[in-house]
Amino acid sequence: MGRRSREELPHPLLHAILVFATIVTVYPILWVVTIALSGKQSLAIADLPAQPTVSDRVRAVIPWPQTVSLANFKSVMTEQPFGRWLVNSAIVSAATTLLGIFLAATAGYAFSRFRFPGRRAGLMSFLVSQMFPGVLMLIPLYIILVKWLGLGSTRIGLVLVYTTSAIPFCVWMLKGYFDTIPRDLEEAAMIDGASPVVIFRRIVLPLAKPAIAVTALFSFMTAWNEFILGATLMDKESMYTGPVGLRFFVGGFQQQWGYFAAGAIIVSIPIVVLFFFLQRYLVSGLTAGSVKG
Amino acid sequence: VNSAPSHRLRFGIGLALGLLLGVGLGVLLLVGARRTEARVRAEREAIVTLNAFADVVDRAGISGDAVRGAVAAWAKAHASVTAVRVIVLEGISLEASTEPKDAGDRAAPRRLAREEKPLYDRAQRLRAAVETNRQEGVPRKDEIEVERLEGGALSLAGPLERDGNVVGMAEIRTAGPPPAPPFPLATVLLYLIAPLAAYAVTALLFKERRAPLALAAFALLAVALFLFARQTLATFEADRLATDRLVAERTSGEARLAPALLGTGAAPLEPSKWDTDVFRRPRGVAPGTTPGGAERRGRNFLFGVALGAMALTAFFGFGLAARLGRVLVRHHVAYFYILPSMLAMVVLVIFPFLYGVAISFTDQTIYNTSEPLTRLWVGVENYGHILSDFAITTRAPDGSRVFNYQNFYWTLGLTIVWTVTNVAIGVSVGLFLALILNTTGLKLRPIYRVLLILPWAVPNYITALIWKGMFHRQFGVINQMIQIFGGRPISWFDTPFTSFLTILSTNGWLSFPFMMVISLGALQSIPNEIYEAARVEGASRWQQFKAITLPSLKPSLIPAIIISVVWTFNMFNIPFLVSEGEPAHSTEILITQAYKFAFQQYRYGYAAAYCVIIFLILFAYGTVQNRVTRATEGI
Repeated sequence: MGRRSREELPHPLLHAILVFATIVTVYPILWVVTIALSGKQSLAIADLPAQPTVSDRVRAVIPWPQTVSLANFKSVMTEQPFGRWLVNSAIVSAATTLLGIFLAATAGYAFSRFRFPGRRAGLMSFLVSQMFPGVLMLIPLYIILVKWLGLGSTRIGLVLVYTTSAIPFCVWMLKGYFDTIPRDLEEAAMIDGASPVVIFRRIVLPLAKPAIAVTALFSFMTAWNEFILGATLMDKESMYTGPVGLRFFVGGFQQQWGYFAAGAIIVSIPIVVLFFFLQRYLVSGLTAGSVKG
Repeated sequence: VNSAPSHRLRFGIGLALGLLLGVGLGVLLLVGARRTEARVRAEREAIVTLNAFADVVDRAGISGDAVRGAVAAWAKAHASVTAVRVIVLEGISLEASTEPKDAGDRAAPRRLAREEKPLYDRAQRLRAAVETNRQEGVPRKDEIEVERLEGGALSLAGPLERDGNVVGMAEIRTAGPPPAPPFPLATVLLYLIAPLAAYAVTALLFKERRAPLALAAFALLAVALFLFARQTLATFEADRLATDRLVAERTSGEARLAPALLGTGAAPLEPSKWDTDVFRRPRGVAPGTTPGGAERRGRNFLFGVALGAMALTAFFGFGLAARLGRVLVRHHVAYFYILPSMLAMVVLVIFPFLYGVAISFTDQTIYNTSEPLTRLWVGVENYGHILSDFAITTRAPDGSRVFNYQNFYWTLGLTIVWTVTNVAIGVSVGLFLALILNTTGLKLRPIYRVLLILPWAVPNYITALIWKGMFHRQFGVINQMIQIFGGRPISWFDTPFTSFLTILSTNGWLSFPFMMVISLGALQSIPNEIYEAARVEGASRWQQFKAITLPSLKPSLIPAIIISVVWTFNMFNIPFLVSEGEPAHSTEILITQAYKFAFQQYRYGYAAAYCVIIFLILFAYGTVQNRVTRATEGI
């Protein structure tokens, strides 16, 4: 034992390193909380006098507002159309999740349970389509959806795009889970004369509930966090999604950092909670060979 | 399962479907082209009439009772024209009109009413068009407006000139639409039934012998489609000649009629200038319309259709369709389950992807999205432009170096530097923190872990905007910190290097937790006994790390690195939102640059080619990675 304690680095030093790393990590988050609670639109934490002293400057980097106020939260939801944008995001994300799960569960089941010509090609095509980011598809999709089908600035267009970008990941996740469900039950049901549709709905889906829930949360998160497709396809201000709206507050000539910060916190809280809930699945799912950016 | 395939039946079905495809698409082409030709013909005839009418009005003096008389007589002599109007700009007056509503107290001449402003605007538009075209020396704006009214009638308006200035407008409204060409039902039936009947006779003769049956089916299909194509093309040509003839007849008819209306003493008319395009350029002189262009396109189209029909016949005749059908039937449950998602992927991923590749061979921009791609085809020009331009720097006249940051190789180099540095930062910081967190007996470990993962949980566009705010030159906290230590504030986004630092630190902040979590998981799975055994052997800390820790990390760290290379390469939001490519696109990575080409410069074709190149890079990377890790083994 004596030998071991000599080899370990002293714990106070490790704590010092970890505390430093944690401060660097948490600082931007504290900064945005500070701006949100400041009740002002400025991105400075404190107003500096014309000839600032060192203590003035130190005050300006300490992430705590000079006066605490919830005004930004109140006005971003009431005076600004942010509530409407959140509703748009929620509708689009929910629809994407439902549609995506339906499509992915059926396909994942087939890929898991049946051996048929084209199976490998189909699975590989899902994998390959995951490799290139949505931006590369944006030009043809923009022309097809906006110029041909007139689906610019509509929730339907966005749902379609999000769903197809979520399907491959969901298919692979669900296929992986279906693979782990033993076939005995299905075979027994088949002997009893149950049709494949009945087996899928009554036996497989209930057994796969946890995986479906996780996959659903993933697709919800993806759609909720997506920025660039939304920014490109949603032209009308009333049809913005949450992310596009947040960027609207501080992009271009707008400098409403207070609204941005309050909105960012409102948007992030559910996602951060979801994230910690999903974290371990995220790691295992990602290392299973999916490479979505 | 069908055990004894019938060659007779297969080639029969193949021939029938081939005929259906060939003749069906051919008829669609024929009907469409005839309808277009009829419309073009109606427009040309109407333009002749309009020009003749404008000439008559001009010779009659444009305004005054003489014009009204001539107009009334002219209108009475034209059954094909419902109503005519003459507008004079000076005084905003309706000089003459045979519109039914312009009777009684509203009869010409009178000043135009307020609600007739569109009429006056139309005249002004024509004047502006004539003047613009004359100034620019090129025909760009329509000098004759052709408007299609509800019900198919045409409303045409042309300028009236005096001494080279547009002083008014002549307008005519034609009677109903041109008669639609009839659907050639008899022809279609003939070309469908006759070859099938001939095939039936052959089939009776040859029974089930495959070779003669195949020969007969292909020969009949080829002959039928050839004859059909010849007839179709002949119809095209006849239509075109008929158009020329009818327009000539219309011109001579107008020329015969007009002098009688004007009486003696008027200046002679110029019928040769009546058959014009909308820029009032006489046809035959005007470039751009090569006669027979439609026929050549039609011939190419029909040839392609015939090849498709042949392929279809072969597909069915040689039993491939039957085999495909058997596969579909046997695995129908699986295909049934896959169909919805495959359909979605085909419509919204595969087709757009192929369409994007097609766009990359054109010079499509925001202004010509309605044109067919074939007309914008430029071959590999876009690729040539992107890949052959090595001039990252040029010499300015004063000898200084000027960087072209939109050069592909600059952006590619920056993307590689961006990817490598980010992954290196992520792995080293993540692994370092994981090793510390893995220390046995360390207090507060769960709290550190949760706090250190936070950047991963925050949506990355929010991270990007937060860091953009913190790097603000005047109010950003980072410059405040620099000033605490006596430094000068930095304009982060003004030089490529500092701008790159902003996106690098932002992305480093959000990407290390992933590596940390992966490493921590791997470290915790190493059994402690191995280390104890190593210690008993007297291995130093560094030796333990090299011999035990690193090899155990490898299986999970390598896939994580591979993934994060793709992620970083594709990390759109950080460069797009933090540095926004500033200054002068020097900190764009490949995909943000592609986005800017498409949605800021609206060069869709060029941007699509850029995207295809990025895709090829990613695809090559994926293939190599796949080879290395065999990640897809055993699916």
